[in-house]
Amino acid sequence: MSTSHDAHADDHGHGHHGSPFVQHHYDDAQHQFDSGKLGIWIFLAQEVLFFSALFVAYILYRVHHGEIYSYAHKWLDVKMGAINTAVLITSSLTAAWAVRCAQLNQRRGLIFCIAATIACACGFLVIKYIEYSHKYHEQILFGRYFDPCETPGGNPLITKSNDCPGRLGTVKWDFGAGKATEGCFESSTIDLDPREPGVQAECEVFEVKLGHDGKPEESSKKPITNVCAPKIGHGEEWEKNKFPCWMPSYQPAVCPDLTDPAKRAQGAAGRPQVGIIVSYGEDDHEHRPHSIIKAECKKPAPPPAVDLTTEVEHHKLELGRGLAKTHVEEHHGHDLLYAGPPPEHTNMFFTIYFAMTGLHGIHVLVGVFVFIWLLIRAIKGQFTPDYFGPVDYAALYWHIVDLIWIFLFPLLYLIV
Amino acid sequence: MATAPHHGHDDHGHGLAHVAAIKVLLATGGTLLLLTLVTVISSKIDFGGASINLAIAMVIAVTKATLVVLFFMHLRYDRLFHSVVFCSAILAATLFVGFTLMDTDQYQQTNIWNPTAPPMAPVGPRAING
Repeated sequence: MSTSHDAHADDHGHGHHGSPFVQHHYDDAQHQFDSGKLGIWIFLAQEVLFFSALFVAYILYRVHHGEIYSYAHKWLDVKMGAINTAVLITSSLTAAWAVRCAQLNQRRGLIFCIAATIACACGFLVIKYIEYSHKYHEQILFGRYFDPCETPGGNPLITKSNDCPGRLGTVKWDFGAGKATEGCFESSTIDLDPREPGVQAECEVFEVKLGHDGKPEESSKKPITNVCAPKIGHGEEWEKNKFPCWMPSYQPAVCPDLTDPAKRAQGAAGRPQVGIIVSYGEDDHEHRPHSIIKAECKKPAPPPAVDLTTEVEHHKLELGRGLAKTHVEEHHGHDLLYAGPPPEHTNMFFTIYFAMTGLHGIHVLVGVFVFIWLLIRAIKGQFTPDYFGPVDYAALYWHIVDLIWIFLFPLLYLIV
Repeated sequence: MATAPHHGHDDHGHGLAHVAAIKVLLATGGTLLLLTLVTVISSKIDFGGASINLAIAMVIAVTKATLVVLFFMHLRYDRLFHSVVFCSAILAATLFVGFTLMDTDQYQQTNIWNPTAPPMAPVGPRAING
């Protein structure tokens, strides 16, 4: 012990190979390199365990709620994920090449490879930022912040916060085109089944006050127009005198197993329903609890008229802010997998998605800083064939980041 | 394999570790990119069930991961002990998943909704900000 220490003291701790970065407490450069390498491998093993906790969450939830995964992944953009996979693989290649350059004392190659790795890592983060910001704007987020503006198929969803950018005041629902368009709803007609041609019902919507005995007073019947306020910009005030107004709502039911056609054909699976949504202005809100919404719908003339009248108490059906809904009619529908609203607890998919890609993204970000540090050292010419440990260790770390993504990509983006 | 460390020595005398050949690096990178394309395309094809598609995607992912570990991470040419460290981490992760899934079917089905009146979120025109 003491003799070896003396030997190093004579050497000034710099070994026999000349690199000033070989520390005196190692026998030689090889000893230092191997110690570092063992250290980084143990760190990588820990990283595997670190991420495995999230993979357990993913697998467990997928085993129990596969329908959520097969629905929710449609919100993710496979193209973005695939590009990011390619970018990360390229960066892994340049990182491995950087190690080779360092080992062979190719300083310019080393600088180029490290710079390329940084560029790819930044590219990955930029693409991730584009994906995240799109999800932020569409409210496709984790936990209780999951409140998407549209289904993966592009059908608008009524959100809890109703804060979808650029969509405030969308009042026209074009069943033919299968999407909402802006402006006012011009005719009091509802297409009960969008798959059948033509309009199947004409509706009139009334508000009826409840008397002291709790019964509706027919004399107080007041038609509610379906001409809603024109579209206004985000954050502006609505023209309150135009309220209340109503609009039809097409809502396919959720079935427990949307992926199984046999189950979908029977029972509760995928039955579209049409409802009436009545919206109130804020000033109207206070004195409404003692009234009900009455919707009278009938099939338009040539076909014999069918009265689909339903009455629903307004205060019981209030959804969110000043929103009442009456259920009019049910129809059996087919293949509503992507037209329908998300299954319950779909937010869990995005909780897991953001946890996994977020933790991975943090690793990428850390990698960027590590490689910038390597770039500075490489420019200073500090890496030599007998001292390139940091390049090797950082590259190994980078490969494990790539490795995690190799699994995340098919598990999140490529679900069938 | 046994000759691999010597290869480095022959090249430069120092040889703290194996030097990856450019051909190997490029072939690995190319194969990884190709497999990425394959996995994307295979996800568009129905192989007769979601679980078969999942199995194919996972086989491709494991192949890609193996390539990264063996060639980019030099584990093929590295000390055996590093492989032991890494494989034990994979083993631990597998046990972790396995034990968690062990009681998967041991519980009664939880009815999260009434099948005759399933819960739903309304679809249609946007609610107007009241």
